[in-house]
Amino acid sequence: MMDKKTRDILITNFFAVVLGLILSGIMILFLKKNPFSVFGILFSSMFRDGYTIGEIFVKATPLIFTALAFAFTFKANLFNIGAQGQFYIGSITAVSVSLLIPSALAIPVAIVLSFLAGGLWGGFMGVSKAKFKANEFLISMMSTYVALNLMNYLLRTILMESKGEYPQTESLAKSTWLFKIVPHTRLHFGFILAILAAVTVWLILYRTTFGFRIRAVGQNQEAARMSGVNPEIIYIISFIISGGLAGLAGVTEVNGVQHMLLQGFNPSIGALGIGIAILANGNPIGIIFASILFGALHVGGTIMGQLSGVPSSIINLMEGFVMVFVIISYFVRRKWEMNRDKKLLMEGNV
Amino acid sequence: MSTPFFELKNISKYFAKVIANKDVSLSVDRGEVLALLGENGAGKSTCMKILYGLYQADEGEIFKEGERISIRTPRDAMRYKISMIQQHFSLVSAHTVTENIILGNVKGKINWKEAENTIQQLAHRYGFNVDVRKKIQDLSVGEQQKVEILKSLYLDANLLIMDEPTAVLTPQEIDNLMEFVENYSRKGNAVIFITHKLKEVMHVANRIIVMRSGRIHGNVLKEATNEMELSRMMIEHSIEELDKGEDKREAGEVCLSVQGLTVVPRNEVPLLHDVDFDIHKGEIFGIAGVSGNGQQELCMTLCGAMKPTSGSILLNNEDITHLSIRKRITLGIGYVPSDRHRYGMVMDMNLSENMFLKASYSKEWNNNGIINRKKLAETTSRMLHKYDVKAPGPYALARELSGGNQQKVIVGREVEFCGDFIIFDQPTRGLDLGAINNVHSAILKEKKNNKAIMLVSTELSEIFALCDRVAVFYKGKIQGIFRTSELDSQKIGLLMAGYTHQEVV
Repeated sequence: MMDKKTRDILITNFFAVVLGLILSGIMILFLKKNPFSVFGILFSSMFRDGYTIGEIFVKATPLIFTALAFAFTFKANLFNIGAQGQFYIGSITAVSVSLLIPSALAIPVAIVLSFLAGGLWGGFMGVSKAKFKANEFLISMMSTYVALNLMNYLLRTILMESKGEYPQTESLAKSTWLFKIVPHTRLHFGFILAILAAVTVWLILYRTTFGFRIRAVGQNQEAARMSGVNPEIIYIISFIISGGLAGLAGVTEVNGVQHMLLQGFNPSIGALGIGIAILANGNPIGIIFASILFGALHVGGTIMGQLSGVPSSIINLMEGFVMVFVIISYFVRRKWEMNRDKKLLMEGNV
Repeated sequence: MSTPFFELKNISKYFAKVIANKDVSLSVDRGEVLALLGENGAGKSTCMKILYGLYQADEGEIFKEGERISIRTPRDAMRYKISMIQQHFSLVSAHTVTENIILGNVKGKINWKEAENTIQQLAHRYGFNVDVRKKIQDLSVGEQQKVEILKSLYLDANLLIMDEPTAVLTPQEIDNLMEFVENYSRKGNAVIFITHKLKEVMHVANRIIVMRSGRIHGNVLKEATNEMELSRMMIEHSIEELDKGEDKREAGEVCLSVQGLTVVPRNEVPLLHDVDFDIHKGEIFGIAGVSGNGQQELCMTLCGAMKPTSGSILLNNEDITHLSIRKRITLGIGYVPSDRHRYGMVMDMNLSENMFLKASYSKEWNNNGIINRKKLAETTSRMLHKYDVKAPGPYALARELSGGNQQKVIVGREVEFCGDFIIFDQPTRGLDLGAINNVHSAILKEKKNNKAIMLVSTELSEIFALCDRVAVFYKGKIQGIFRTSELDSQKIGLLMAGYTHQEVV
């Protein structure tokens, strides 16, 4: 028999999704379209062919990284809102490495250096938090704009394509592309890298002394300090790792998907990552599945926009509704559990 | 039989996983002082919070003078002239006494003169020596409590509920409070006095209701009972006789030596002033004093969380004054903090993780940074058994345990994994008698193991029962160091109140 907790999670999450769909369905009604046929297109289009299914995982890949980035600092009770900026720094590094070394060697070098560059960028926030008690929420958020403008600046100067027409780099040499893991799709090695990253993060957090200390600081900084842990060092290291994870998304998007860097590159994966991390309650394995869900909605939504004449932004709305209801459902579950315990006590003792 | 002033009938309250109150019926009459006696967690406060509208009962009814009433919020309670003074005061520390008292009862333009006069008169009538223009932050805890009481009087309350009102007071302040309670009830008001101290009950109450695990276990008039009977009603087990061990005259070698320790925050009065003492191996050294006289700072400085302004700390003749917390843990300093929720445990982690907290840098349970979870869980299970912790197992969350059992886990951790010197900062505060006995015997056992122990306590009985020597703290200074056999509670009370050694002897 399924235990009651699991049953609750399934029921509440199911209703959260359904309610999200109903509300966005009402939005579709306002556009004078039939929501059933629109949703029909949404779901059928997700699975219409192998290429589209592959696309779901392609979209999920960078989300896994940015969600992990948020979750990692979240465990230390820190808020890294700037995964978007760390992703840009990682992207700049990946594209530079790949342009300088136009061979397969570029891939491992880009992976290492993007991690380090994103980590360094994130590390600044950790240091300012640790040394100057700066508000990491604000700093990480504002640093995104610095990174964005740094990228735009580079795209108009030294990284600009040789013709000098568009703010984008040259296309990367084919040898520097991440290889495909499923033929006839765009699904590339980056997805495997993302899964590995999620598993590694889980192992670090729940199996190592270092991860233990991060969680201890996150849940009770004072008790951790009294146990000899230096919270300041934990802040810095968590931010370095968090920034590094977001930086890796740069490799998967530059070397795996776009094969170049251009202005306005994936502008919302940072924000989505935050939502996904919360949806998965910060659990690295849960993040994989939540990212795939959002990848699917995104892919389906894009096609739906093309086929039904409904603006694809309705899918963002739907993602938002689902997210709000999922968060509410967490509290509903807690209430149910409490009532159940109460009832047991009443019956057992009357 | 006359109709009771207030009556609770068959009240039950359930929290997640616990029965807080079960079928509680009690009443209080005008002019009566009712003591609600019981161990911590017996359900006294919960029951009174229901009467005050902070909690809603799951079952049961409340009556005032025979009429059924519904109290859903403290505001309702105030309308029925019920007032409750919480264990932790609810005062705005940056505001004056007057501002605090009229807060919530003023509209429009405030006539300060009138308000101040009314409150000052109220204070005089009950013999409270409080300056109504002073800010709360400049008042002592005892005075703050008077402000809380004045707040109730200002609202014209007829039923005053006091939750452990004496916990923070000096003996002299307690006497004053008792006087007030008698005075107030004589005017036809009722008082419900929540406490777990037998002596107070016998002193102040007309009638005593004993609670145990959420239920009522006795309802007696003071004249018809005595302390022994009450303690039997309160607990299911008797207090163990403690074997203190022989009072060693010639001490073992010095383990911890504190010399001229001073902590002065910038532009403030010293928190610790020129503190000197030695603790020997096999000795329990008590730190007595009303809380807030430098004990916390002493503990923090010794364990490394606070930097001394001057002075030095030697552990086994090694200067540790400037070492980090982590190094001091490695050198064998154990610390059972007084605020275990804040400093001692991570509530949302499980017990084995909490056990691991101080050992995350030692090689004991990890191989190259990977936690050896099996070994850790086994050790934790063994510890839970050894220290008689009532818990489902090593993977239970710390939060799910009762306060006493949480404390047993911390005591076990500090005792088992620390070397020579252990600090116990109010280790039994807020615990029930069973857990107190448990902690006391653990402390005595460590003494037999020849460890040096520092015991900070505000409970004199604890100091006398356990300590070989005691230092009395007052405003960050040591008033004197004595063998406990040389002192009695009268003398130590005066020292705690600031009298010097010469004045006392």
